[in-house]
Amino acid sequence: MRKYVSIYAIWTLLFVGTASVEAEMNVVTTTSDLASIAKEIGGSLIKVKALVKGYQDPHYIQPKPSYMVKMNRADLLIYQGLELEIGWLSVLIDGARNPNIRLGQRGHLDASKNISKLEVAGGKVDRSMGDIHPYGNPHYHLNPENGLIIAKSIYDKLSELDAGNSHLYKSNLSRFQEKLKEKISAWKNRMNAYRGTQIVSYHKLWSYFARYFNLVVVDTVEAKPGIPPSTKHLSKLTALMNRHKVKVILQANFYESTFANLVAEKTGSIVVRLPAFVGGTSDAKDYFSLFDTIIEELHKVLQTKP
Amino acid sequence: MKSITLYILLISFLFNPVGAWSASQYEELEERIRLLEKEQIPSQSSSTATGISRSFNPAISLNGLFLGTYNDEGNYDSTKGVRTGIKVQEVEMRLAANIDHWLRGDITLAIEGTSTIEVEEAFVEGLVFSNLSFKVGKFLSPFGKHNQLHSHAFPFIDLPVVNEEIFGEEGLNEIGFGVSYLLPTEWFSEFTFQLLKGSNTTQFNGPAGSDFAYLMRQNNLWELNDETTMELGSSYVHGKNSQPPTSVIKNKTNLVGGDLTFKWQPAGREAYKTLIWQTEFMGSFRKQTQEGWYTLLQNQFAKQWWVQGRYSGYTIPHGPNRIDKNQWSALLAWVPSEFSSIRLQYNHLNQAAADENQVLLQLNFSMGSHPAHKY
Repeated sequence: MRKYVSIYAIWTLLFVGTASVEAEMNVVTTTSDLASIAKEIGGSLIKVKALVKGYQDPHYIQPKPSYMVKMNRADLLIYQGLELEIGWLSVLIDGARNPNIRLGQRGHLDASKNISKLEVAGGKVDRSMGDIHPYGNPHYHLNPENGLIIAKSIYDKLSELDAGNSHLYKSNLSRFQEKLKEKISAWKNRMNAYRGTQIVSYHKLWSYFARYFNLVVVDTVEAKPGIPPSTKHLSKLTALMNRHKVKVILQANFYESTFANLVAEKTGSIVVRLPAFVGGTSDAKDYFSLFDTIIEELHKVLQTKP
Repeated sequence: MKSITLYILLISFLFNPVGAWSASQYEELEERIRLLEKEQIPSQSSSTATGISRSFNPAISLNGLFLGTYNDEGNYDSTKGVRTGIKVQEVEMRLAANIDHWLRGDITLAIEGTSTIEVEEAFVEGLVFSNLSFKVGKFLSPFGKHNQLHSHAFPFIDLPVVNEEIFGEEGLNEIGFGVSYLLPTEWFSEFTFQLLKGSNTTQFNGPAGSDFAYLMRQNNLWELNDETTMELGSSYVHGKNSQPPTSVIKNKTNLVGGDLTFKWQPAGREAYKTLIWQTEFMGSFRKQTQEGWYTLLQNQFAKQWWVQGRYSGYTIPHGPNRIDKNQWSALLAWVPSEFSSIRLQYNHLNQAAADENQVLLQLNFSMGSHPAHKY
């Protein structure tokens, strides 16, 4: 018995290192967009890590224990909410064994809290409808004005946790919001020519984006969120697209484009594969360049459209 | 109150002569209406979907396993685990919720077949302090990787033969309590210690009520890159068994296990491709030695499709009860959503008695709360 215990003690000690002590506040976000905005507000006062890479589909993340380690050392957890992370975040919060970031604690921020949600389920919902998010569509970061709201929520939280530096966060917030507002009017100008253009998206990922820039999403390639479409739905979609002369299928680049390509072939439309999060392509380095990339790509396709 | 303000704004907006308003005033009003609308929406949305009061109920999920089997041996032998026929393999109900500000509860009730209900797991968890969590109740013990899984989450339809022979069909599932410490390392590293009742009939079940079993587990996970992880764990349990002790041989059982798992998911293609390679060794050392291992490969090659292979060997190398068993398995799964799957498995069992060829076809379904599975 004693022999085994001592072998165990040695084995365990082999793995014990020392945690370094840092002055900055440690912030962990689920998505890279939240990390990008948090970086703008926190500046050099915080250290930000995003769990999900921008080119990954946040619906299908595996709760890797290595994420628990990151969350274990966090002073603040910021997540997108609206059940985007439902399949994995609770396991990580429990596994992180960090009392500060649990639900109801000060270091726990749901970034969706001040967002006006789209597609909130009214009436009865169930799983026969696919992977639905009953509290609203969680892809709200693709409306750039929601970036202003997310920034404000993060500012509020950082000032609550670190009141001494509140004035610094405040000036970062103002700078970020001013820059974003400028950018927004430029993006709006760019997209103005395409108001009312009918498009099809693969997943209901572009609802906020389309609504903000006045694009009309006539249908989705997926009949039900998260479930590959049936041939029946695809032929219905093809007919609809031909009738309405829809020429563009928007798709986040982490989805396979087999189905979209099939439809595009039959309708003469173009599949536009776009980054949906910061880091989704190498050009989309932060929240600003994410929209720059998306809008530039769209502009390229839409301007050549017959 | 906010809606009244909104109305007043709207009414004043409608009844004022148009000329009296400048464009900037319009804009300002529109902005204010928009803000007010925004503030209202959260209070509406939080009650529409499931209702606030119901969020105090535990998250409930139900799981059913329906199984059809074929075995080319022993069709008339009712003691056989797998013989030709159809059955309800298991129905499971899981309830989980935060109990209060410091405890979290998790209860899993299982009905094997269709008659007797059994408490498979019933435990509470909480934090002692940062990094140190505790667990009290009845639970699947963290001996290796496979033993911690409920039957609906098994990578194959059945247990590897080594797990079945060493712990029995129910696995090492004990009443007890313990703590688990997340070590302050750069990678994930955890140490678990548990005191268990020691009631597993094949390994423990000592004569005295105080014949506890003591479990230790140490596991590590490294991210080799963005796409690949490696997990390395070791487990050890010491307890007393029911063999009458002699002056030479005490009724002590030592269980030792090691496990190694690689997982690969290509970046940006998580929903479509996964490769898992898991290997586990375990040995039981008491009057007689039992040893064995399994290695399995799971390959998701399309969004809804998996193909898998497994080998498991088991042996009692010495003594009068010498056994040598080899089990080869192949599996094809169709997984239309996270909530249902149909799996077809073939086993070839090579043993001292006649070899067996088994075919298993399982329907696996879940209802209710979204399951958050362990890694």
